[in-house]
Amino acid sequence: MLPASLPPLSKGGHAAHCKRCLSGLPSSQVDIDPAKLALSFYCLGSLDVSGELEKKTKDWEREQWREWIWSQQTRGHHGTGFRASSYMTAKHSTEEHSGHDNPQIIMTYTALLSLSILRDNFSRLDRKGLLEFLRSCQNIDGSFSSEPLGGDSDLRTTFCAFAISTMLDDWSGMDVANALQFIYSCRTYEGGYGQSPFGEALGGTTYCALAALRLATKQLDPLSLQDRQKTVRWLVQNQAYNGGFSGRTNKDADACYCFWCGASLHVLDAGDLVDNAAMSSFIASCQFKYGGIAKIPGEHPDPYHTYLSLAAVALLPPNSSEGASWALCPLDPLLNATYQTSSWARAHIPAPKVDDDALGDAGI
Amino acid sequence: MKIEIVVDPARPAPPASLVSRVAPAASAPAASDARGASCCILQRPEWADVVPLEQYENVTPLAPIFYTDEYRDATNYFRGIVKSGEMSPRVLELTENVIRQNPGHYSAWQYRYKTLMALKSPLDDELQLMDELAIKHLKTYQVWHHRRLLVQQTRNPGPELEFIANSLQVDMKNYHTWSYRQWILAYFNDDALWSHELDFVESMLESDVRNNSAWHHRFFVAFQSGVRNGDEDRDAIVRRELAFVKERIAIAPNNASAWNYLRGVLDHAKIPYSELQAFVLPYSLPQLPLGIPPEVVDLENPLPSKDSQLPCVAAVEFMADIHEAAGGGDLVKATELWKSLANEHDTIRKRYWEYRIAESLKTKSGGDG
Ligand SMILES: [Zn+2]
Repeated sequence: MLPASLPPLSKGGHAAHCKRCLSGLPSSQVDIDPAKLALSFYCLGSLDVSGELEKKTKDWEREQWREWIWSQQTRGHHGTGFRASSYMTAKHSTEEHSGHDNPQIIMTYTALLSLSILRDNFSRLDRKGLLEFLRSCQNIDGSFSSEPLGGDSDLRTTFCAFAISTMLDDWSGMDVANALQFIYSCRTYEGGYGQSPFGEALGGTTYCALAALRLATKQLDPLSLQDRQKTVRWLVQNQAYNGGFSGRTNKDADACYCFWCGASLHVLDAGDLVDNAAMSSFIASCQFKYGGIAKIPGEHPDPYHTYLSLAAVALLPPNSSEGASWALCPLDPLLNATYQTSSWARAHIPAPKVDDDALGDAGI
Repeated sequence: MKIEIVVDPARPAPPASLVSRVAPAASAPAASDARGASCCILQRPEWADVVPLEQYENVTPLAPIFYTDEYRDATNYFRGIVKSGEMSPRVLELTENVIRQNPGHYSAWQYRYKTLMALKSPLDDELQLMDELAIKHLKTYQVWHHRRLLVQQTRNPGPELEFIANSLQVDMKNYHTWSYRQWILAYFNDDALWSHELDFVESMLESDVRNNSAWHHRFFVAFQSGVRNGDEDRDAIVRRELAFVKERIAIAPNNASAWNYLRGVLDHAKIPYSELQAFVLPYSLPQLPLGIPPEVVDLENPLPSKDSQLPCVAAVEFMADIHEAAGGGDLVKATELWKSLANEHDTIRKRYWEYRIAESLKTKSGGDG
């Protein structure tokens, strides 16, 4: 039986965990280097969605973080984007391009969101270069590679191209019809989407597929009625008896899938089918006593599971009677950021509109 | 204005690489214990001609990682090598060192592959090394990506299937491993490669009938890329698969993977669910119908094994779907079943079952109007 009321959500503790990670990681975390901007996004996102960013960080810190993220914007041979971190950057080699310090598409998506969380004005964004980068990442089958002319390509990297195009409000960086075709080809008989064609249905990539479809088509329902029913059924089936979600059929629940599956349902306007109370209870049990949220109860926390758990709660909150600790900032499920942040992104990332009247007055 | 500083939070000075190369004994005492054998490759004289390059940050980084000296050393040399563009046997040694310390080091993998190609290295040796690294780092994407690149060169996919079977013994549901198997089969796509695939899936399901990756793979073999010349009699394949999944459901009725597979096959073949009613019904009841003598056991429709927990949620759902499709008066039956799921057998999905009830009423009133 589930407890009648939830223990509090330790927002302050989770924010502190993420703040700690931003200030340094132990050597055992060295594998974070090739994905550091993603980690930064999970940390900043946790602070943002829990409403702790202003409280927990100082102006100069946020300024410094913006500077570091911008220093990852790189012009490669095939356009401009953000690289994961400076782990391949050597001194005095900033001018020449080694080909091993490339911008990467997932890092570019998380960098744009992180800068939006930090309310940057994007005056330094190389928009033209970014569109060129997107174009050179798209493959013949419509998918996007993590970097130009190769590298891994799957639904995650493809979703990022949709999100970046949305934030730029410019779809000239991709062949949309071809990209949609790739997404459809990843659908499985279970109703979810695999990481790539013929792959097993997986919560994370199902989110990527549905959010991308919705971003591109802007229709309320990007799927046929039958497909939608099947997908909703599979997603709902992934909620385990302990309240958490599993990412695949017959796997154990894991906190991150509360977001991937819960947000997928939300994208299909079926978020109300989730048992929010049970989900929150599972997430409560994954809280680490010194802050942070783990994938399952009793494990060590990390920013990825912390952010996605908080995002899941923001999207599918428990009953308001659970008190203020469970109240988080409302979340935009399509870009995966708070609405305030996603509105900021949509307002500041597109190229400034050319004002026709002004041009006319200037006699151009 | 930017102030350019090399930020090195872990170890301000002197650069570990220089210390270790010139005079290992002079390195900071605190760090000397950490200098394991694997960093010694860089202390050999044959590395003296390489200029190690420190990682450079011009602003304070987010989430700085406190590297070990050993790692810092190896990556300093690696950056040096990348800058000089050298591709030589010692680069293979160096990238292996970096990869062993950080299997996610994207650039080390990339540069290693380029070097292997440039040197025309024997790729079977490389694959052998990968056999070890893959098992060690099953969840690292790069390990699998590298392997794909290698096999595309050797064009010898045969041994890969056995390697995959072995690594699935370590982790039976590993997503990368299964994806790699699907890729090998679809990419090389020759009949010999596919010939034992159904047996393989069957043995995997023998070890764990709830392994959804194996069920998914079976669908891929029977209905997608695995369809071979000579398999044209699709009806026979569908009958074979229905018999297979029914048997597995009988052994372990509460297995969502098997039920999803059953639905998948029916949807794929456009067979109405009602054709399975005789099979599904006993699973949807609270207990086995009494007094069925063994001699009338219907091989087409195996009964749930003894001690099965009944009713089976998936069977109740399936029966409700049958009634809903029939429509008319049967909707009442469907509603009863959904109610039993919502309130008794599957309460975590209460909202979903209530939604199904509401939706069916909508359709009904829509049809009546
Ligand atoms: Zn997880």
